[in-house]
Amino acid sequence: MDTLHTLLLAFIGIVVVNNLVLTKFLGICPYLGVSGRIDMAFGMGCAVTFVVTLAGTLTWIIDHTFLIGTPLEVMRYLCFILVIAGAVQLVEMYLRKFFPSLYESFGIFLPLITTNCAILGLCLFLNLWEIKRLDEAVVLSAGAGIGFTLAICIMAGIRENMELADVPGPMRGAPITLITAGLLTLAFMGFAGMI
Amino acid sequence: MSNKIKFFFQESWLLMVSSVVFGLLLAITDAAWKPRIEQNTIDRFNRLAGGLLTEAERFESVAAEPLAIEIGGKEIPVDVKRGLDGSGQTAGWAFVCEGSGFADKIRLVVAVDAAFEKMAGFGVLFSNETPGFGDKINITPAAGGFYQPQFIGAPVGTLTLTKSGDAAVIDAEIVAISGATVSSQAVVTTLNAWMVPIKEKLKAEGLLK
Amino acid sequence: MSSQSLGKTFTAGLWDSNPVLRLLLGMCPTLAVTAAMKPALTMGLSVIFVLVCSNIVVSLMRNLLKPHLRILMFTLTIATFVTIADLYLKAFLPDMSAALGPYIPLIIVNCIIIGRAEACASKSGVLVSIVDALGMGAGFTLALCLLATIRELLATGKLFETPVMPSWFTPWAGMGMPVGAFVTLGLILALVSVITNKSKS
Repeated sequence: MDTLHTLLLAFIGIVVVNNLVLTKFLGICPYLGVSGRIDMAFGMGCAVTFVVTLAGTLTWIIDHTFLIGTPLEVMRYLCFILVIAGAVQLVEMYLRKFFPSLYESFGIFLPLITTNCAILGLCLFLNLWEIKRLDEAVVLSAGAGIGFTLAICIMAGIRENMELADVPGPMRGAPITLITAGLLTLAFMGFAGMI
Repeated sequence: MSNKIKFFFQESWLLMVSSVVFGLLLAITDAAWKPRIEQNTIDRFNRLAGGLLTEAERFESVAAEPLAIEIGGKEIPVDVKRGLDGSGQTAGWAFVCEGSGFADKIRLVVAVDAAFEKMAGFGVLFSNETPGFGDKINITPAAGGFYQPQFIGAPVGTLTLTKSGDAAVIDAEIVAISGATVSSQAVVTTLNAWMVPIKEKLKAEGLLK
Repeated sequence: MSSQSLGKTFTAGLWDSNPVLRLLLGMCPTLAVTAAMKPALTMGLSVIFVLVCSNIVVSLMRNLLKPHLRILMFTLTIATFVTIADLYLKAFLPDMSAALGPYIPLIIVNCIIIGRAEACASKSGVLVSIVDALGMGAGFTLALCLLATIRELLATGKLFETPVMPSWFTPWAGMGMPVGAFVTLGLILALVSVITNKSKS
């Protein structure tokens, strides 16, 4: 019961309170760039969730079995980025072989994900927050992906409607998106203090 | 077969060579700077704790291994440090504790007097509270802070937070920062959770009379 | 290559293809570390260091690169230099290292660096790559400093932690929060597009 409580709090924390996109500015590039349509945004979100869960768990295990407390700690960033790149490749190959339809729908986002800062960021935060338990690390990783999907889908929904709005010339495109994102972070600040 | 191996090396020799070179580069840098990095962490603690326990000249850990202390139902290793004055007498105790703040974790350095009866104050090692509101817990007494001075001389035990009261009176009642009740409460809760178990543990270990 | 075209390569990074203001690359550090000048400047200098080093290395081995291992090599190079930068900050500027936290290792996935390795360094000589890295790095640092000046001034009334605003000034707490970063950058980008539209017509 106690474990469940901790995990639930960790999950809510990472999805809304410490949302990586809106409070830590991670994964901003796809957030501003790709999120023009909800279905695309959702596909991207799913791909990220999948990879981040895998990468977060793997890097946590590697960090705790090989790196923490040994002189190898200096290799942490190298290790993390290689694990992420490897995980992305694996997922891509696996999907192409076994789920071609799924690969068609979000496979195009996969190469982009290697350089998505939300993934490396989450792996680094797992180390920074000194997460001691595997189940917590898994929940946080999956939660980070879901938080990303949530943020990117909200943004895509707003942008779909913004196409109908009369935005002043120079504000069109990136500027108005950034300001909208700013207002969204204000809304998400309401969740702070929940846990 | 040999063709395959040859092909493999042709494709990947650059990767292997550069991995070795980069690895060496990192190893050399790390070896050169590691002592400094470790010293920086110790200095940071000493600066904060030394600012609170002015008589203490140096700090040393009470035991080789961090003490395992039960806090909130979990065993947590705590590196309690003894502050020693010029003549080698105990001037006080200091340790790092951690709790959840408004948005993120808060990590505090806490100092208490030699008898573990009264606090010598706390300093913030890490916090990510709202700028302009919650981050007022970071303002030191020297910088004219309102919140931190209330802990200097406060009794070790259960502190309570009030919204109205006299901040100048030093007792177990801490007056909250207006607009940042959650952050103020977070510090009080963290201190309450950590101070007494550590005191008990030190007594049980015979380090504190 | 003549010194004139080298100069052009350098100034391209400052304005015409400024990574932050024109290409919208590397947004994550731009928004995250610009609450004050000091971390913004440290970030900018770290990025210049990593960019120059990785461009030199990539340029040196550009003829040896195998196409399918290209990105892996880039990442490896960048991660190495980022680790060195991180160790340097931890050793000599511990306060800045604590303030920047995970955003220094996140330089690894900064699109500017891998983008320059791909677009410039893997195709051109060492000298051009260095100049290009310096130009791009300087453009990035300038954009960061511009944002940080506005935000630090309005959020705290200080610059480099020295008070500069008159005493009647009320700090805008919002500027220090994420919302301040997004809105300020949005307005700066709008201004940039006004300026470029004017110079076009």
